[in-house]
Amino acid sequence: MSSESSKKRKPKVIRSDGAPAEGKRNRSDTEQEGKYYSEEAEVDLRDPGRDYELYKYTCQELQRLMAEIQDLKSRGGKDMAVEIEERRIQSCVHFMTLKKLNRLAHIRLKKGRDQTHEAKQKVDAYHLQLQNLLYEVMHLQKEITKCLEFKSKHEEIDLVSLEEFYKEAPPVISKPEVTMGDPHQQTLARLDWELEQRKRLAEKYRESLSNKEKILKEIEVKKEYLSSLQPRLNSIMQASLPVQEYLFMPFDQAHKQYETARHLPPPLYVLFVQATAYGQACDKTLSVAIEGSVDEAKALFKPPEDSQDDESDSDAEEEQTTKRRRPTLGVQLDDKRKEMLKRHPLSVMLDLKCKDDSVLHLTFYYLMNLNIMTVKAKVTTATELITPISAGDLLSPDSVLSCLYPGDHGKKTPNPANQYQFDKVGILTLRDYVLDLGHPYLWVQKLGGLHFPKEQPQHTVIADHSLSASHMETTMKLLKTRVQSRLALHKQFASLEHGIVPVTSDCQYLFPAKVVSRLVKWVTIAHEDYMELHFTKDIVEAGLAEDTNLYYMALIERGTAKLQAAVVLNPGYSSIPPVFQLCLNWKGEKTNNNDDNIRAMESEVNVCYKELCGARPGYQLLTNQLQRLCVLLDVYLETESHDDSVEGPKEFPQEKMCLRLFRGPSRMKPFKYNHPQGFFSHR
Amino acid sequence: MDRVVPQAVPLGQMEVFQALQRLHMTVFSQSVSPCGKFLAAGNNYGQIAIFSLSAALSSEAKEESKKPVVTFQAHDGPVYSMVSTDRQLVSAGDGEVKAWLWAEILKKGSKELWRCQPPYRTSLEVPEINSLLLVPKENSLILAGGDCQLHTMDLETGAFTRALRGHTDYIHCLALRERSPEVLSGDLRTAKEVQTIEVYKHEECSRPHNGRWIGCLATDSDWMVCGGGPALTLWHLRSSTPTTIFPMRAPQKHVTFYQDLILSAGQGPCVNQWQLSGELKAQVPGSSPGLLSLSLNQQPAAPECKVLTAAGNSCRVDVFTNLGYRAFSLSF
Repeated sequence: MSSESSKKRKPKVIRSDGAPAEGKRNRSDTEQEGKYYSEEAEVDLRDPGRDYELYKYTCQELQRLMAEIQDLKSRGGKDMAVEIEERRIQSCVHFMTLKKLNRLAHIRLKKGRDQTHEAKQKVDAYHLQLQNLLYEVMHLQKEITKCLEFKSKHEEIDLVSLEEFYKEAPPVISKPEVTMGDPHQQTLARLDWELEQRKRLAEKYRESLSNKEKILKEIEVKKEYLSSLQPRLNSIMQASLPVQEYLFMPFDQAHKQYETARHLPPPLYVLFVQATAYGQACDKTLSVAIEGSVDEAKALFKPPEDSQDDESDSDAEEEQTTKRRRPTLGVQLDDKRKEMLKRHPLSVMLDLKCKDDSVLHLTFYYLMNLNIMTVKAKVTTATELITPISAGDLLSPDSVLSCLYPGDHGKKTPNPANQYQFDKVGILTLRDYVLDLGHPYLWVQKLGGLHFPKEQPQHTVIADHSLSASHMETTMKLLKTRVQSRLALHKQFASLEHGIVPVTSDCQYLFPAKVVSRLVKWVTIAHEDYMELHFTKDIVEAGLAEDTNLYYMALIERGTAKLQAAVVLNPGYSSIPPVFQLCLNWKGEKTNNNDDNIRAMESEVNVCYKELCGARPGYQLLTNQLQRLCVLLDVYLETESHDDSVEGPKEFPQEKMCLRLFRGPSRMKPFKYNHPQGFFSHR
Repeated sequence: MDRVVPQAVPLGQMEVFQALQRLHMTVFSQSVSPCGKFLAAGNNYGQIAIFSLSAALSSEAKEESKKPVVTFQAHDGPVYSMVSTDRQLVSAGDGEVKAWLWAEILKKGSKELWRCQPPYRTSLEVPEINSLLLVPKENSLILAGGDCQLHTMDLETGAFTRALRGHTDYIHCLALRERSPEVLSGDLRTAKEVQTIEVYKHEECSRPHNGRWIGCLATDSDWMVCGGGPALTLWHLRSSTPTTIFPMRAPQKHVTFYQDLILSAGQGPCVNQWQLSGELKAQVPGSSPGLLSLSLNQQPAAPECKVLTAAGNSCRVDVFTNLGYRAFSLSF
C-alpha cells in the first residue's frame, strides 16, 4: 500500500537529511575528542545568560584597560611599559575570553540552528505522512462512492413489481423462502424470471411476424384478383347499355349526369336536384340534362399558386403591351363588363313536354359574378308552324315567358347588390344584355334556391333547397299552361288573320246560329299606338296597359257599321282575360263616353268573361270574346230604334228575338243571349 | 294633355278583374239617410255602398273617407232605385223590393228587413222596377216598372193594394204631385192618371232621332218638367201646354227643382242649371261621362251636409258643396 511506501520514503528522507550533519559532527567530535575537550558539551553546560554577562564584563574591562593604556601612553614614561605590558597581557586574556565567547556563541548558534533544522525535518516528515494519509483517505472515499454508485445493468430493466412477481413466477424461480429474506437473491430471482418471460415473448413475436407475412401475401393475391375484376365489370356495364335503353332505365346516363352535376355551381345544382326529383316523382314529361364543358368548370378552381404565376406573367405581358399600345378606355371597360357578366360554363337544360307533343326547352345559366340565374326559352312543336304576322311575339324566346308570375318581367336584375357592381363598369341595366344572357326572372332565382330579401340585403346569398322545392310544382304547371295557351293563340291568330273567328264546337252554344257581322281585320299594334288611341284612356288610367302586354286591333263590319276593338292581351292569358275597348263608327262615332250601349257591350266581354272561357283550360276565351262582339254588334244595329223622320227602311232589320228592346234607366239593349231558347234579354 | 301614369303594381287575376269591374260600374240610384249624414248608392252589380258624408265633408277628411263605410250585396241584379223613409232604406232592382234599417245598415252583414215582389203577369222575364215613390200621407210605396204598371204597396202591411195600368211601355220615372194626390209617371208616351200628355206629339219638344221616351220627370205642383227623348220642357199642368223648352241636346235622365232653379243631368258629364225662363245658368262638369241620378241632401238634421251628389256611368259619386263647382268624388 501506498502508506507503506510513504513510510519507506520518509525514513529515507530523514536519514538523508539528518545523517550527513550528524556524521560530520560525529567525525569532528571524534577527531577533537582526543585532543580538546568538546566545546559543544561545554555549551550545554554554560548558561547563555551568564555568558552574556561575562561578555559585557569583558568588554567593559577591555574598554577600561584600553582607556588605561591610552592614559598611560598619553602620559608616556618608561615604567609605564611594564604596566602597559601588564595591561596588554590582560587585554589579551580578555581578548581570548572574547574569542571564546564568540566561539561559544557560534557554537550555540549552530546548535540552535541544527536543532531547529531537525525539528523542522521532523515536522515535515509528519506533514508528509499526514498528506499521504489524507490522500489515501480521499482515494478510499472515492472508491467507496464509486462502488456505491455502481449501477448494474440489471437495474435498468423494468422488472415486474414484487407482488406480481410472486404471483406469476413459478416457485422454481421465485423461491420465496429464500428470496423473501435475501434481497440479493430476490433480485436474482426476479432477473431470472424476467429473462424467461422475455424468451417466451420473443418466441411469440417471431411467430406473429411469420403470420403477418403470410397474411400479407394473401391480401396481395386478393387485391390482384379484385383489380382484375373492375375492367370486367365495366365491360359488362357497356354491354348492358342497349338493354338499359330497351327497358327505358338509363342508369348509366343518370350516373354520368350526377358526375357532371358535382361541378355545377350551387344554384344550378339545387335546380338540377329539385328538377330531377320532381320529374321522377310527379311529372314524367320533364327531363333534365346538363350541358357545357366540365373541363372549363374544373379550370375555374385552379390552385392559387398557378393563378398567381399566371397573374405575374400576364402582368409583365400587360406592361409590355401597354408600352407598345395603350388599349382605349372603352375597350378596357368592355372587357370589365364582359368579365362581370361572365357565365358559368355549365348550364342546366329542362325539357317540358306538353300534351300535343310540343316541347318547351329551357336553358338555365348562372352568372358567377352577379350571383343570379338566367333562363333562355325556346318552343319547338311537333309539326312546323307557319307563323301568322300578328303572332310574331307570341312564341318569341324574348317574350314567351314574360310575366309568368304577375309583374315578373325579367328585365331587371333581382339581386340588389348588382347595382353597385354595375355602377363600377358602367352598365345601366341588365335589359340591354338579356337577349344574350337570358332573362333573370324571379321564379328562376327561386328555383335555384336564391332569395334576395329587400329588407335585409345580404352579402352572400346561398342556394336553398326548400325554397326551390316549394316553387317547383307551381312553376312547372304555369310553364306548361303558358306554352299551351300561346300555341292555342298561335293557331287562333292564324285563323283570325283570315277573317274567320274559330269557335270550337263545344262553345257553339254560347252564340246564336246566325251571326252576320264579320271580323275583317286582325293586326298587332304597338304599345305606344295603343296609348294614343282616344277610346283607350280609361284602361290606361286604370293601369291595365303596361309595356309587358301585347296589343291588337280588330275590325268588325256589318254593312256601313264599323266596329273597332282595341285588345290588350296580358301575358298571363288565359287566367287574366284580354280587355277590349270599342269604338263604333255608324251614324257618328260612338264610344263608351257618349253611348251607354257601347259601354254595356264592353262590359259584356270584359266583365262577364268567365262564361266565355269555354272548356278548361279556357284557351278559347279570346275567340269567344270576338264572336260575342260580333253578336253584340248584330243586336246593337238591329235593335236601334227607328227614326220616324228619316225616310226609308231600317238598314238592319231586326232578326233577333228579343223580349224587350229597352230596359232600365239607361235604356239598355238586350245583349244577353239565352241558350237554348235563342232569345236575347237583359242582364 | 296630361296622361296619368299608373303605378307599376303587378296585377294578378283578382286585381285585373276588380279593375275591370270598377271600370264598367254604373251607379243608378242614391238616397240620403234620415239623419242626413250618410248617403247610400246602388250600382249595376247589385251592391249598395254607404258613404259617410259627414266624414268626407269634415276638415280632416282623408282618402279613406271618400271610400264607402260599408258595401254589401243587396240584390242579384242592378239596384235601379232607392228611397228612404224615416227609418228604412228601400231599394228596388230586378223585380224585388227590399228594405233595410238605417240604424243597422252600418254594421257588416246586416240582413234586409223585408222583401217582396209585386205580382207580375208575365213569368218569362222578371220586369225591373225603375222607380220608387213614397206617398207619406197614405204610408204607401208606389213602384213603377218594366211591366208597364204602377203597383202600390202599403208599407205597414206589405200588401199590394192597387195596380194601375194604362201605360203602353215601361215606366221610367215617378213624381208626386203634392197638392192633389196625383202621381205622374212617364214612359215612352206620357200618361198620367188624370191626363195624358203625349209629349212627343208636340212639335217644339219632340226630337225623333232620340226617340219618344220620357226619362225624367219632376213636378212642382203646378209645373212639371220632363225630358228624355224629347227635349227638356217645362209644362204648365193645368193647361197641359209646354211653356219653356230648354235647349239641351243630350237626353236628360234626371231632373229636379231646386229653389228657383231647375237642375238636370243626363248624357254628358255636366250638371246643368237652368233658370225657369229657359236660360242656362251654369254647366258644372262632373267626373263621370254620363249622369243618371242627382240627389240633394236637404235633411234638416244635418245642415252641414247640404250637398248635391251626382252619380252615373262610373264608380264615382260627385259631391258639389257649392253648386258652382265639383268639390270631390266619393268612389266605390
